[in-house]
Amino acid sequence: MTNATTAVTNPAEQLLFEMSVEGRRCLRLPELDVPKVDVKTALKGAKLRNQPAKLPELSELDVVRHFKNLADKNFSVDKNFYPLGSCTMKYNPKINVTLLSKPGFTKAHPHLPEADIQGHIELMYNLEGYLREISGLPAVTLQPAAGAHGEMTGIMVIQAFFRDKGEGKTRTEVIIPDSAHGTNPATAALAGFKTVTLKSNADGGCDLEALKAMVGPQTAAMMITNPTTLGLIEPNMLQIAEILHAAGAKLYMDGANMNAIQGVVRPGDYGVDVMHFNLHKTYSVPHGSGGPGAGPIAVREDLEPYLPTPRPIKKPDGTFTLEFKRPKTIGKVRSFFGNYGALVMAYIYMSQLGREGVRRNAEYAVLAANYIRAKLRGHYHIQNDKTCAHEVVFTDAKQDAESHLHAIDVAKRLIDYGIHPMTIYFPQANVTGGHGAMMVEPTETESKQTLDFFIDVMKKIAAECKENPDLLKNAPHNMPVVRLDEVRATTQPQLYCPMCMA
Amino acid sequence: MPFIPHTQKETAEMLSAVGVKSIEELFHDIPQKLRIDMKDSSKLKLPKGQGELEVIRHIEGLLAKTKNAGDYAYFRGGGIYNHFVSTVVDHIALYDGSFITAYTPYQPECSQGTLTFIFEFQSAICALTGLEVANASMYDGASALAEAMMMGLHVAEDKFRKENRSTFVIAGHVNPEYVAVCKTYAKTAGIKLVIVPASEDSGRIDADALKAALTRNVCAVAVQSPNYLGVIEDVEGVVAAAKVNENLVIQAIAEPLSLAYLQSPAEAGVDIAVGEGQPLGNHQFLGGPAFGFFAAKKEHLRKMPGRIVSETVDRNGKRAYALALATREQHIRREKATSNICTNQSLCALRALIHLAAWGKNGFMELAEHTIAKTQYAMKKLAAVEGVKVLHGESPVFNEFVIAAASGLDRKLIKKGIVGGLSLDKYGKGRKGQYLVAVTEVTTKEDVDKYAAALAGALAGKPVGVSK
Repeated sequence: MTNATTAVTNPAEQLLFEMSVEGRRCLRLPELDVPKVDVKTALKGAKLRNQPAKLPELSELDVVRHFKNLADKNFSVDKNFYPLGSCTMKYNPKINVTLLSKPGFTKAHPHLPEADIQGHIELMYNLEGYLREISGLPAVTLQPAAGAHGEMTGIMVIQAFFRDKGEGKTRTEVIIPDSAHGTNPATAALAGFKTVTLKSNADGGCDLEALKAMVGPQTAAMMITNPTTLGLIEPNMLQIAEILHAAGAKLYMDGANMNAIQGVVRPGDYGVDVMHFNLHKTYSVPHGSGGPGAGPIAVREDLEPYLPTPRPIKKPDGTFTLEFKRPKTIGKVRSFFGNYGALVMAYIYMSQLGREGVRRNAEYAVLAANYIRAKLRGHYHIQNDKTCAHEVVFTDAKQDAESHLHAIDVAKRLIDYGIHPMTIYFPQANVTGGHGAMMVEPTETESKQTLDFFIDVMKKIAAECKENPDLLKNAPHNMPVVRLDEVRATTQPQLYCPMCMA
Repeated sequence: MPFIPHTQKETAEMLSAVGVKSIEELFHDIPQKLRIDMKDSSKLKLPKGQGELEVIRHIEGLLAKTKNAGDYAYFRGGGIYNHFVSTVVDHIALYDGSFITAYTPYQPECSQGTLTFIFEFQSAICALTGLEVANASMYDGASALAEAMMMGLHVAEDKFRKENRSTFVIAGHVNPEYVAVCKTYAKTAGIKLVIVPASEDSGRIDADALKAALTRNVCAVAVQSPNYLGVIEDVEGVVAAAKVNENLVIQAIAEPLSLAYLQSPAEAGVDIAVGEGQPLGNHQFLGGPAFGFFAAKKEHLRKMPGRIVSETVDRNGKRAYALALATREQHIRREKATSNICTNQSLCALRALIHLAAWGKNGFMELAEHTIAKTQYAMKKLAAVEGVKVLHGESPVFNEFVIAAASGLDRKLIKKGIVGGLSLDKYGKGRKGQYLVAVTEVTTKEDVDKYAAALAGALAGKPVGVSK
């Protein structure tokens, strides 16, 4: 800044609170059609706040332009290839949001009379049917709001089942592979279970002998992710289920990676007792910058009595009702009917896919991942160089050895090419030999041209690692900010704009 | 092929690059006998895929079998409210793909849009509640209260290591949906849940009963204000009662618009404030998705569930935003995490932020003023109907109140285009014939007059069910 004599305030760089101008207004209400009241008198001595909440004061253009500027700072599926492993960032069809904007959905109040929500209950009933068929399990609840919430519901259902059988006090352990998503152990612990970690075998799969040694009368369940978080289809699902069932324990499947096997195999057919779906991954509910999603679970007959309420029911006369009275239910895990709006979007998508489409999604998701694996062989170390499922895990072993560059450097350099980084450092280092994982999930909706572009960029980055390591260390080069001080964010947290509390 | 771009030629090229002859070969790790044979139509019984036009017709057909709040003079709330949502909100959050088709901001350089709005959202929640830390959202108000209960347990376990503090107290009229979810979580986590009934007359917390319940075995106490019956509670009184045995105080708020005028949770001295975010710019969708907000005193930061964004700087010293304090979260802490939450309700939090920004400081207060005036008008108008009594009339209310009339009025009102207050027949003993009436800025004088007239008509000649 050599000749900066005047400080320039660019509203595009300001927070809403900083843009605020006293007295400015945006939205207005109609004229009050009932007598005006004095708030203090009307609220009969209730304690009032000392000063108004410091919300910003803006015009409509202020608001729209602010968020447009923020929007431009985001990578998103609509704009960028987004191979964030384990998240299934597929295209979200526009019909989803267009239909969801209809007043029949936006103004569907949960306390409307049952006669007025027949179409909604029917939709939920149909969606449950689709998920039953794909899971191969006979009962579904749509109530959980996200994958982790589904896990919790599933574990609670298993817990209630054992408590009912008088085994609640003895079945205290849940087995979780070391490659599992962090939500699995967090869920089991939340429900009061002791978590037992099962080390994966060299192929990232389940070590059957180790599992046998672990399972016993103290085991309530095993939580398994299939395909595994290493992106491999677990070949021994039948044997795993047998080992657990022989000990009277249940097999829970984390369905985060369902996009790879939907329509190819039904988890219920290979012995899974409970599974959750991530409708925001597999069934195109937009990820919304972090949510909302939906995490329905499917269960076997013996677990059905414990599912949350209410449940959509079709009556013999063809009308629909909601069943609230279920004596053995675990209760409610969320208010009303779950993230119904998200369920609607998944239903719209599944209606378009149909039987053939469900299967084809899995096929092309898996083909795309294997294509990337084959094309990048030799340029990056592949953690398990064999047929993968819908995602492939590379590591930074080669780049680390050659130029001391790591997964994070590759990730940041991808941003320069307009590609959202893959998931890095997951699965954990202990399952990738201490190297930084780079987990790539392309999804079935990305064209061959996009995949080829990604492959070429990855090759180019591999070359840059050797020729010009600084290019990676300083990446990204064209973004508003670069390499944040994330330690400071935690050690000196500043969690709100001071102007909102002044 | 819906949403799959690959041509036959491209598919063949990709298969050849992989070194297999068919896609089927890629599934060799699934035993053949378990794989679905697509030629067998009894396997995978799903309907045939439909084109966009067919799906639109199908969905419109389903919606034809529904009615919504907009089709009626509508007086039901009970946790979700029939508010006006500005078109600005949908344009930014729904139709522009930049936020809705992004995910959790793991890479801050290409997610500053999301990180900034979460930071601003946290700031807006801090402005409303007066508390210093707010997270990036929970699933809904009910699960936010259940998470607050779990947090209350964890804080107490940490602070009073030698005591057994596994009892959680719910004081007075808390939304039954919230109570139900707390019960489910409590059962699994081994928490003893005690509900302290309210005083019959005032509809407010019975101070003596609460005092008796707040022992040293209690980790935390939850109060909803305005409560389920619409009555504004003396939250300061609860805080004072909880001080004696050092119980944490949680305030649940089902209608955050009330914070435009009511004493903020921080002013009342509560430790944690949670609530339902739907009334802030979110559509009704049968109750979700909206979001739960979650705020707490700074001292409880490390026990908070959910994502949190902090301001920081980048390598060049430029202001930037990043996820912070991940060591509380499941992906780092695994079984020792404060919560298992991962995917949250960010887009709904964005909607709330846009809503609050577009109404602004004065507009938000005006919304509350209209709500209060319309509620007062409705109370007077309904109280004047023969056979109707407004209950808890001495206690302050914000947007909801209870009337006593007679059971079974719904059908008669619906015939006249009115969905009257929510029947409390099943809510509790002695509540038969009572209704919880909700008002918003959308409610018109005409709606209220119509409701009063229809109630008068429906009650004419009926034995009046007002019990005293």
